[in-house]
Amino acid sequence: MSDNGVILDVRSISKHFGALKAVDKVNFQVKKGEIVGLIGPNGAGKTTITNLVTGELRKTEGEVHFKGINVSNMQPFQIARIGLTRTYQVVKPLQGMTVEENILVGSLFGRSDRENDLNSARKTTHHIMELVGLEKKKDSKVSDVTLPDLKRMEFARVLAMDPEVIFLDEVMAGLNPSEVEESMELVKNIRAEKQLTIVYIEHIMKAVMGISDRIIVLHHGQKICEGSPTEVCDNPAVIEAYLGKKYAKEVISG
Amino acid sequence: MIAQNDRKLNINIILIVAALIIFILLPNYISGYYTRIFTAIFMYATIAQCINLMSGYMGYLPFGHVMFFGIGAYISAILMKTGLPVFVAIPAACFCAIVISIILGFPVLRLRGHYFAIATIGMNGAIMTVVQNATEITGGARGTTFPIITVPPAVVYKYFYLAMFGLMVITSLVMNMIVNSKFGFGIRSIKANEDAANSMGINTTFTKVSTWAIAAMFTSIAGGLYGYWMSFIAPDEVFDLMFITNSIIMMLIGGAGTILGPIFGAFIVETVSEVAWSGFMQYHLAALGIATIIIVFFIPRGLIGTITDKMRNRRIKLSKKTEVTNV
Repeated sequence: MSDNGVILDVRSISKHFGALKAVDKVNFQVKKGEIVGLIGPNGAGKTTITNLVTGELRKTEGEVHFKGINVSNMQPFQIARIGLTRTYQVVKPLQGMTVEENILVGSLFGRSDRENDLNSARKTTHHIMELVGLEKKKDSKVSDVTLPDLKRMEFARVLAMDPEVIFLDEVMAGLNPSEVEESMELVKNIRAEKQLTIVYIEHIMKAVMGISDRIIVLHHGQKICEGSPTEVCDNPAVIEAYLGKKYAKEVISG
Repeated sequence: MIAQNDRKLNINIILIVAALIIFILLPNYISGYYTRIFTAIFMYATIAQCINLMSGYMGYLPFGHVMFFGIGAYISAILMKTGLPVFVAIPAACFCAIVISIILGFPVLRLRGHYFAIATIGMNGAIMTVVQNATEITGGARGTTFPIITVPPAVVYKYFYLAMFGLMVITSLVMNMIVNSKFGFGIRSIKANEDAANSMGINTTFTKVSTWAIAAMFTSIAGGLYGYWMSFIAPDEVFDLMFITNSIIMMLIGGAGTILGPIFGAFIVETVSEVAWSGFMQYHLAALGIATIIIVFFIPRGLIGTITDKMRNRRIKLSKKTEVTNV
């Protein structure tokens, strides 16, 4: 492990699609056990950064170090096997399988430095389903499950992979306020129990502010600000680009 | 609940063993004509099982998969002509098919969906052309013969019947083992969502190539046996896409993504084909086509798939009912 608890070190990564600089020389570090919020307007490059870090897109330049290992040129499955994983903004359930089987696949594969034969994977699956409250849905096909449950399942599937760092890409998109509340509780509780490091990508400001230790703001593919939730809300550049004056005041005062 | 499951398992085992004994003894009591029909059914069931692993479980429809059937037949023929016994020639042909499938698999399995299906047809065409033009080795377009078998025909047919039956049983058992293993979950995840599978730690390239190699292995053994059985093979016969078309129809009718499906499908389609063949000669393909459309339209999961779905739903309903009464 690298010094002062840094588990994920993103060094000046860029992704250019032709002339468009979707991500431009972004640096950040994530410490073990932190929840880092990654916010920014639509098209700021949040999901692209996730894709770059987890190996789904090739980087134009820059390096990513995870637990001191250079993972810049690894395939997604290799990165997942050493403990860095993500959920998808648009859920990607394994169609045709049941909820239980989806989570089972996560625990069968996922991190590779642990026991994951069929028997132990079934045990893990059972435990995870209890943890996130999906036992009643376990035999349902994913096509018969509601969106909040699918998001829950995807989160459960990621947990079953036993990762150290998770990128949660808008797990709350499409949920109503009470479901957002539930989802926040779930993430908080599980994070405490599993000692996870989470990079939280979200549009819902209330959720990000309430949950994150530190926030990184992106705009036009560049990092414009980084700091605690209150610092970010005070930052004029952030207010200009994203929050709007009224909202910033509301968050600080209330 | 557990005792019930055990009883169910026992019944299944008894049924399977009974079917095995019946089919092993069967050729003693039926005419040579029916022995041949059954041999063809077993061969088709084997190929359909391979297509099922690739398409029904992994979602990659290998339309040109017949290339491994032809490779198996041709390499067996060439090796047996040099004097090698069949027990060496067919495994050697099978080994070659595996190597070829791995070499071709890396580039072609990067394609998805229809592109993959069409690329395999192209590869099949390319291999067939090579076989047709390498006249010194393969005998060219006129085909080649296997060494003559000196045993009386009635006994020979029984041998091939048993060999094909054994191949079908072994193929089905191996497929059953694969799809219920960890590797099998990898295969099914690729069909479900390849990108998600990759991000979950499944080495998709490795899984896809090895699955294709397994499918090629059994198909090439079927090809070798078929060639020896027919004693004469020609390129446009053993590289004929109709083998795969038939197998795909069998898989669809029986149920893609089930182990029993391809076997039942092969029985149904071959029986119907034989009946239609004697009655309508050239129209049997039309009958098959219409039957396929009807099946896909009304029971897209196939016969076995629909039955297992129904049973699963009933089980879930029952377990929910008991839950309610317990409360």
